[in-house]
Amino acid sequence: MIDLNDPVVRGYLIQLLGEEGITIIENMPEGEVTDEEIAEATGVLLNIVRRNLFIMNENKLAICRRERDSSSGWLTYLWQLDLDDIDTQLTKEKKKLVKNLQARLDFEEDNVFYVCPEGCIRILFNNAADCHFLCPVCGEDLTFQENTEMVDTLKERLTALQES
Amino acid sequence: MEIEEEALSLIRKHHDGVYQNELWKDLNIDSRKCSRLISRMMKEGKIIREPAVSNGSRTYLIKATTPDEKSYELMLAAGMFSPCTGCRLACHPEHCEALTEWILRLIKEKQNQA
Repeated sequence: MIDLNDPVVRGYLIQLLGEEGITIIENMPEGEVTDEEIAEATGVLLNIVRRNLFIMNENKLAICRRERDSSSGWLTYLWQLDLDDIDTQLTKEKKKLVKNLQARLDFEEDNVFYVCPEGCIRILFNNAADCHFLCPVCGEDLTFQENTEMVDTLKERLTALQES
Repeated sequence: MEIEEEALSLIRKHHDGVYQNELWKDLNIDSRKCSRLISRMMKEGKIIREPAVSNGSRTYLIKATTPDEKSYELMLAAGMFSPCTGCRLACHPEHCEALTEWILRLIKEKQNQA
């Protein structure tokens, strides 16, 4: 049984589906149901239910089965929640985050940054030189940004993620 | 820490697996106890093992099937989950604003802990 109050599970589902996705999961009727039945049971708009079901199916959190009505020939899509495989999805998300953090770390280590003291912009040394070290937005003098803390924090979290 | 937890944490540290004939020595238990422990963890689906040869003697290579649940917590930065999840924008981690926010939260979290 998945604990929806677990900070990781909740954080993942909110990031993926939004608050309405959590409402759907918490109030979804048991067994196979149609999107209209889900909308009725959860009080969430049908188009939002469909969007969330599509994302859940894409991420292997919901199973969809098609059934054809023998008399009318119409197709009915039946949905069922399946959160058993959430660990596999979390592992995939972890890999994606590691890849992107590594790319960011390389970029931060390989470059020198300048920032506007007014918070308008953060640019690379070459671009700052092109602008004569003046903020292209407000005209303030750009200042060198020490990014050692960011680099150290990134390295620390990356190592922890890669070792776990 | 219970011996099973200790064993699992040790197995997880070795991404390429650990030999059974080394595991019981590292855990400071005898080989029979280790063998029973391995069988139990295999039944629970926590590990898998495959025949292997280590230092010329036949043994098993043991690998964890699931990562440490705590490792997923590393995707949280001051309550914010990895912004890469569900992201449908063109991926530019070097300039991504959401990723920057996540990193800044991480720095703040670290400063608060210090």
